[in-house]
Amino acid sequence: MAGPHEILGMSRLLGIGTTEFLAKYTDNGGTTLRFGEEDGRCVFVTESACRVHPRRPLVCRLYPLGRATDGTGEERFARFPKQEGCEAEYGTDGTIADFLAAQGVAPYLEWSLRYGEVYRRMLGLLDRIGVEGRVETEDGGEAGAAGSHPVSDRDPLSSWQDIDASLSAYCAAKGIAVPAGIDEAIDLHLAAMQEWLDGLEARMGAAPEGSEGEEKT
Amino acid sequence: MGKQEVGRTVSRREIIKLAGTAAAFCTSFGFLHGSQVGGAVQDKHLQQDKHITQHKWERAEIKWYSGNALLHSSAIPAKVAKHLESDVNATVEVKLFRSGQMLRNLGTIQGKH
Repeated sequence: MAGPHEILGMSRLLGIGTTEFLAKYTDNGGTTLRFGEEDGRCVFVTESACRVHPRRPLVCRLYPLGRATDGTGEERFARFPKQEGCEAEYGTDGTIADFLAAQGVAPYLEWSLRYGEVYRRMLGLLDRIGVEGRVETEDGGEAGAAGSHPVSDRDPLSSWQDIDASLSAYCAAKGIAVPAGIDEAIDLHLAAMQEWLDGLEARMGAAPEGSEGEEKT
Repeated sequence: MGKQEVGRTVSRREIIKLAGTAAAFCTSFGFLHGSQVGGAVQDKHLQQDKHITQHKWERAEIKWYSGNALLHSSAIPAKVAKHLESDVNATVEVKLFRSGQMLRNLGTIQGKH
């Protein structure tokens, strides 16, 4: 699992852009890091270390814990067995809070929360789209909203996953400079997505009363 | 509740982009959508063996051993296995009873953990 903000952080560490990172190091539509077909290891794990450790994704920071939140935001943690070959310290001393602090997960959880708000808005809009609904196509014809186009497993599912490319286009359209810092780029990425959803919502018209998925917490 | 028909100014391409972005976020963040609870979003950050994450369950079995010797094997009903696979709150409890009274709880298994 690797979100667009995590891909941005790792790509900056490697000195490449997110477009190149997505092409070289991700699978499953740009949503997961690539694993070796023969050894099953993450592409960044070497004999001695992780090549992107300072910018490793949240899921790697949490290991050997698993984290799940319910609809109310309540957290639950699970502990996974130590994997063969893992040289990290593995024990039951200390608290989960101390472990999370030591792994620097706080900003990653905050980003996850903020992207979760965007995700919730997207679901709200999709919920208003009848799968069997008739929608306008580019050529003026009509087609089912569930229509799809073939994509490679290694192509990103969405252009929004590529922060460098999406911010480049967004900033060019706005006539503003692309932020250099990672935090600033993530902030603008989130703002640009919210703006995109604002536009879609405006064009779809007011949500019907009591529609699902529109609730924001 | 019926779905509303999309306004004519929202193109098919935009809808595909919206669906693709939601799908990407669902996977890359581990978000789940509880459509029955008003759009509540769960997020799960579970590091699992790649072999497990890439393959859906086909079958789940309970096996009884004596040391290393397999004594008996029984498949968990498919609909129960599916429930275990898909619901983070689903559990299996192994309990011993006599005359309708529980003597001992051998433990709880969480299918998603």
